Amino acid sequence: MPLPTPFHPRTSKLCESLQFKSWAGYFAVSSYQSHHDPEYFAFRNAAGLLDISPLYKYEVSGVDSAAFLASVATRDVGTLQAGRVTYACFCDSHGKVIDDGTIARIDEQSFRVTTASPTFGWFDRQRRGFDIQLRDVSDTLAALAIQGPNSREALASAADDGIRDLGFFGIMSTRIDGVDVQVSRTGYTGDLGYEVWLRSGDALPVWDALMEAGTPFGLQAAGLDALDVTRIEAGFVLQDVDYFSAPRCLIESRKSSPFEIGLGWTVDLEREPFVGQAALRAEHADGSDWQFVGLEISWEGIEELYAAWGLPPSLPTHACRDAVPLFSGGRQVGQVTSTTWSPILKKYLALATVRTAQSSLGTGLEIEHTVEFERSRVAASVVDRPFFDPDRKRA
Amino acid sequence: MQYDLIIIGGGHNGLTCAALQASRGRKVLVLERRGILGGLAAGEEFHPGYRTVGVLHDTSSVRSSVIDKLGLESHGLKRRSDEAAVFAPQKDGPGLLLFDDPVRACDELAAHSASDADRYVEFRAFLARIGSYLRGILGEIPPPISPRGAGQFLALLRKGWALRSLGRETMYECLRIGPTCVQDWLDEWFETDVLKAALASPALLGTWSGPGSAGTTALALMQICTAGRGIVGGPAALVDALVLACESRGVELRTNAGVVRILTDAGRVQGVELADGSGVEGGLVASSVDPRQTFLDLIRPLDLPGDLGSGIENWRCRGTTAKVNLALDGPLEFSCRPGAVFDTIRVGENLEEIERAFDSVKYRRLPVSPHIDIHMPTVLDPGLAPAGHHVASMLVHFVPHDLEAGWGDTQRADLLEVCLNRLAEVAPECRDRIVGYQVVTPADLERELSLTGGHIHHGEHGLDQLLSFRPQATCARYATPLEGLVLCGSGSHPGGGITCAPGELAASTMS
Amino acid sequence: MTKRYDSIVVGGGHNGLVCAAYLARAGRSVLVLERRHVLGGAAVTEELHPGFKYSVCSYVVSLLRPEIIRDLQLPRFGLEILPLECSFTPQLDGPGLVRWPDGDKTRREIAQFSQRDAEIYPEFGREMMKVGRMVKPILEMTPPDPSSLRPGNLLDMLKLGRMFGQLTESERILQAKMFTMSAIDFLDEWFEGDLLKATLGVSGIIGTFQGVRSPGTAYVLLHHYMGEIDGAFRAWGLSKGGTGQISNAIADAARHFGAEIRTEASVDEVMVRGGRVRGVVLEDGTEIQADTVVSGLDPHRTFLKLCNSSDLDAEFLGSIKRFKMRGSSGKVNLALDRFPEFTCRPGDGLHVRGDVAIAPSVDYLERAFDEAKYGDFSQRPFMNVVIPSLVDPSVAPPGKHVMSIFVQYAPYALKEGPENWPQKRQAFGDAVIDTLAEYCPTLKESILHRQVLTPWDLEQKIGLTEGNIFHGELSLEQLFFLRPTPLWSRYKTPIPGLWMCASGTHPGGGIMGAPGANAARRILKTR
Repeated sequence: MPLPTPFHPRTSKLCESLQFKSWAGYFAVSSYQSHHDPEYFAFRNAAGLLDISPLYKYEVSGVDSAAFLASVATRDVGTLQAGRVTYACFCDSHGKVIDDGTIARIDEQSFRVTTASPTFGWFDRQRRGFDIQLRDVSDTLAALAIQGPNSREALASAADDGIRDLGFFGIMSTRIDGVDVQVSRTGYTGDLGYEVWLRSGDALPVWDALMEAGTPFGLQAAGLDALDVTRIEAGFVLQDVDYFSAPRCLIESRKSSPFEIGLGWTVDLEREPFVGQAALRAEHADGSDWQFVGLEISWEGIEELYAAWGLPPSLPTHACRDAVPLFSGGRQVGQVTSTTWSPILKKYLALATVRTAQSSLGTGLEIEHTVEFERSRVAASVVDRPFFDPDRKRA
Repeated sequence: MQYDLIIIGGGHNGLTCAALQASRGRKVLVLERRGILGGLAAGEEFHPGYRTVGVLHDTSSVRSSVIDKLGLESHGLKRRSDEAAVFAPQKDGPGLLLFDDPVRACDELAAHSASDADRYVEFRAFLARIGSYLRGILGEIPPPISPRGAGQFLALLRKGWALRSLGRETMYECLRIGPTCVQDWLDEWFETDVLKAALASPALLGTWSGPGSAGTTALALMQICTAGRGIVGGPAALVDALVLACESRGVELRTNAGVVRILTDAGRVQGVELADGSGVEGGLVASSVDPRQTFLDLIRPLDLPGDLGSGIENWRCRGTTAKVNLALDGPLEFSCRPGAVFDTIRVGENLEEIERAFDSVKYRRLPVSPHIDIHMPTVLDPGLAPAGHHVASMLVHFVPHDLEAGWGDTQRADLLEVCLNRLAEVAPECRDRIVGYQVVTPADLERELSLTGGHIHHGEHGLDQLLSFRPQATCARYATPLEGLVLCGSGSHPGGGITCAPGELAASTMS
Repeated sequence: MTKRYDSIVVGGGHNGLVCAAYLARAGRSVLVLERRHVLGGAAVTEELHPGFKYSVCSYVVSLLRPEIIRDLQLPRFGLEILPLECSFTPQLDGPGLVRWPDGDKTRREIAQFSQRDAEIYPEFGREMMKVGRMVKPILEMTPPDPSSLRPGNLLDMLKLGRMFGQLTESERILQAKMFTMSAIDFLDEWFEGDLLKATLGVSGIIGTFQGVRSPGTAYVLLHHYMGEIDGAFRAWGLSKGGTGQISNAIADAARHFGAEIRTEASVDEVMVRGGRVRGVVLEDGTEIQADTVVSGLDPHRTFLKLCNSSDLDAEFLGSIKRFKMRGSSGKVNLALDRFPEFTCRPGDGLHVRGDVAIAPSVDYLERAFDEAKYGDFSQRPFMNVVIPSLVDPSVAPPGKHVMSIFVQYAPYALKEGPENWPQKRQAFGDAVIDTLAEYCPTLKESILHRQVLTPWDLEQKIGLTEGNIFHGELSLEQLFFLRPTPLWSRYKTPIPGLWMCASGTHPGGGIMGAPGANAARRILKTR
């Protein structure tokens, strides 16, 4: 049985649909109402409040904390300023991704790392020779994401001063309703947004204060289904859906390098040694076999397929995580791992892993699509990610 | 100053490797942390006027090929003219003076069991049959786990064929007994307890296994089949000869020069850094210190390629051996053989006693009745002590490095006490003879001789830590994945003890 | 009595029955002869107290090869395996450790003791699964003879070599480690928590006369990891109606294929005339003729009791005598009038509906072995407790329970001599109950009936030499082409027409059925 998160007394009351899923062993709301559209539009047009407490959260502190993190992450964390957050991969010695997540430098000698899967054990095994303290705060630290165009105003009206000055990927300490919290300008929706970090015991007053202050700005509680649509629009990879953590793969071919999941930009190669450096250098030099790309699926093609059966086009109501094959000239060249209809772009989008030869922008591919129990193929083309990238995200 | 080869550690293996490489015209530098050379083989004055011949004292397994190649005899080294007989005293029996030669052993054995005297002939014949095969395995670079190319495959097949050519029965017998415990194996042969204890004992030195632990037969076979005649003057004399051999070949031997770091750049060794902060450049470094220190202390974690670091972190080196040196005003005399003097003595009545001693290691306690391997070097070399006086060099089996109570003065005194109690059971007057003593605990060995875990073999002799797995599959053939770093100590095949084989084999890989 | 059979199988244990079923399925006329009144050997269910059905010896299944279940259509003959979901290691002074079917829940359980272990645990499971998969083909293989240069053998060796060749280097290293390390040394490489290591380590000692720190036990750990139910590796189950139900299902399958099965028919001797087997002689003097005789008994019984020593050469007999049996375990079965609460985790929830291991620490387990090593039963033994009535109510009256306690160590070779076991039986039973009662204080007052089986009893009653449940130690030198003896590891024996088909041959013990099936395959190929 999953456990309740610190916000469970509030989220469970609001969750009229009774649709929960287990996220890292915690109850997480899939969608509060029977359909997630209102929550999606809260994210895109007003602001949504999402309980992200189930994230894995670790604190690294001590004189060698920067050096340690620089040695395990693909990013050169040593150059990260206090009050800044960065996004990086963690790779094994063969350069295969174990996890991806954010690293926040709270001050000179303390960091907070978030990951998608349990990574404490791996960090612990890499710490030899570093004078650091490593603490798992997953259970003691609660977290909320407040995302959407109105998130700044909603948050600013609940918190003490300073929110409006917080830059993209910055982190600061402030207070909400008298409670000490940290706020980072990060998120998983690809929009203007913040994440609030607080002690578990303070969860409920902070939730209440945010909801109260946010209501005039259209803030409403949002669940994971809405988040999934936004993260695909933003072109973000999701572990266990778009890629798999290397130590959990039974076969080599399932593992991916950062270059193969679209996170090559997080790899700082030329610096002090870090885990996987040699392998990543080699791959960088030789090129990768696979690329992670965005796809736009031809709506006309979809319509035609359905029309042939005398049906109007119908797509799944949720973002879809079932992998389907991708073809080029009759040959399978990869797989689509996430698809969604984008309500705001009015496009049918997908994230896919394809062979490098088929990965350049504009490449025409075919995606498998089943209508009336019959498999067919629909045209799709490689497009730039993110699909949705509003200026307000960084402004 | 530029060196072709820098050797870390001036123990017998480091010196062997240095001299052999210098023979090929290489410019070699040996860096020794301590003020004296020799490591576990170095003799020292432990009490005014009394000297030991080394922490270890058995030289019967020193490789003849090393002596020959380096011409050690011309540097004063002498093999003993007679095989050492092992004396195993008993509390209530006649004791057993055991010779390797079954003819000489016959009478002594017959006093215990007529059938054992007969079986001993067969036993020795069996060992002789497989001896050359085992010596071959131990004297060669271990085969790779993943053979590459026809040559390596053929070499592997040849090994298999060599085993097969011992005959079908012998081959199967080797495969069958190898993984068993030495107790089961010896039980199949003999009925005399003290004989079995004496035969099993040397293979158990330094291991984390008792005679009932699986795999110890393989260790016993290896030990028995490589044992030959010892060296006059013991390990210390071997070190003296090796030092001369090094010097005559132009090897630079530097003492008080502890290495703190192996310098690397882009996966290649660049030299070493010394404790005083100075550096020595060199593209080829051979380490004779134990694998944990080599890989985990001397190299920065991220300079280690692949998963080598995590593999070495699992390297087991839990020391189980302590040393007690006694300065005596006369020889040890045993109540079962009044008047007789022996130079090699193994105190252990039966395998159960040894097994019980091993049990104490598991629970991190001192053994109540320790198993003791004694050498009295003064019997052959009276010069090590004042006239008429003697030195008893005692290796005490199954003394845990990680004693539950920790190692303090009380525990040290307790250790001496249990040893003397046990010794007094067979040599009642031993206490009165003592004029001085030295107790070296596994913790002392770790500190003074820089042995991780106080392990005299640089790592346990477990089946999974031998041959192609010593110390890791990726560096079992002496070269390591870190370009320019070679291993040449007891942490490599064929393991610990004074054999000089790791140094010799490592040298042979550096063309 | 002039009927002549193609094959006679001596011993109606599960391997004998499997072998018979396969032979019959291939059209051979087969007769199975069982000494006792029940079939199954060590896999039997008996109602020793009214309404309470004990799985007398063997009590859990998972090693039974799925292809045997399919080939012999066992579900059709009543085989039903109920999964055991959890594994619980109670503590006297702590919360205990439960491994749940839910991974996140298990992670939190382990994290009470070590966060690091909690996260590595699933990785460990995957690694073990990988090795399990590597070893699996070996289970189905007749061991090749590495000393033989016959083409067939060389081909087998080549196959083996190729299998090894296909492994990655790290897999080879892992495999070599499993074969040589002790369970605890192996687990030390993964974990730091003592309770978790003890919990996992016990799989390395079940049925062996080894401690968790004895080299070679890592392999036994793997042996127990290879169980599979419904394609899921590492899943244990209970046979509905008790373990005997498995034997009954196999027996019914064998009968269905035409085999004849006789109980209370004790074989006295294997008849050998003119250098080959001609049949068997029963205890009552009846002679039954057959071309082949297949022994489902252990190697000691087969060659030292059933065969005339003049039919075998001394060398071979010597090697059989050297084959180590060394029973080390006992069994206590209890009829209980209510559920015995475990103090550290009350309730009869999911956590007790699996196996409960009394293994509170590594040292506890090793101490239990130390006592046995010197010829005593463990005063504080390792125990594997299963309460089948929680999962399968058919084995006890409503509201009442059956408790099956596997106990280690109980060395056959007591220092006073094995024949003294009957005098020690009750003291042994008391030690077991006393130890368990520390964890379940209400246990003693709820016992309605108890059955204590010492290794001596297993030998006398079930016919397991020295009470060894695996027909011989599962140690490296007694496995694969060395089981039971080097030159005779391919089910064949030196007496033409006499075969072996039980746990004393490759791949060894447990309710696996593989020796029986492998032997049948060889016999069918030979003629």
